[in-house]
Amino acid sequence: MDAVTYPDNNVINFMQGRVIPVRVPYDHKPLSEKFNVKWTPTLITLDSEGKESHRTVGFLGPDELIPSLLLGIGKAYFESGRFQEAISAFNEILTGYPKSHSAPEAIYLRGVSLYKSTKDPKPLRGAYDKLSAEYSDSEWAKRAYPYRLIE
Amino acid sequence: MASKVEWETELETALSRAKAEKKNVLLDFFNPG
Repeated sequence: MDAVTYPDNNVINFMQGRVIPVRVPYDHKPLSEKFNVKWTPTLITLDSEGKESHRTVGFLGPDELIPSLLLGIGKAYFESGRFQEAISAFNEILTGYPKSHSAPEAIYLRGVSLYKSTKDPKPLRGAYDKLSAEYSDSEWAKRAYPYRLIE
Repeated sequence: MASKVEWETELETALSRAKAEKKNVLLDFFNPG
């Protein structure tokens, strides 16, 4: 991460603008036990109350770290019921990083966020259609499989 | 524009900034080697 990802200008700009970055050694007490850290790097997105919304373990290049952070931001909004902000974060992933590993989960959660904010189930079917067409091998395509039945 | 990532080293400081700046926190557990 230190050799490739963190020196990247896009990463620097994103992190300085969108998150508060904090770094601690993997054996930090009490945080490593509190967050059950077993390997490095472990990257955890927290809301401002310290509640975890997203976690990755292992190296991420610049084109994966930024969408992963956006996914964490979107999931934090999603979990607090702020669905429009969540949808905005998920759309950033799909616009800027459609080939990233975060994209399928963003499609799934965007569909759920649209459903929860409108009570219209069609976005769930839309999520299934997009996932089955463009990310058919992803676990999120499988999780959306029941939504194929929505008219 | 920053030329490198400016890390906080204390979670409590980061959470205080997150509240003030309405942002999320990235907590990186790393191996200092």
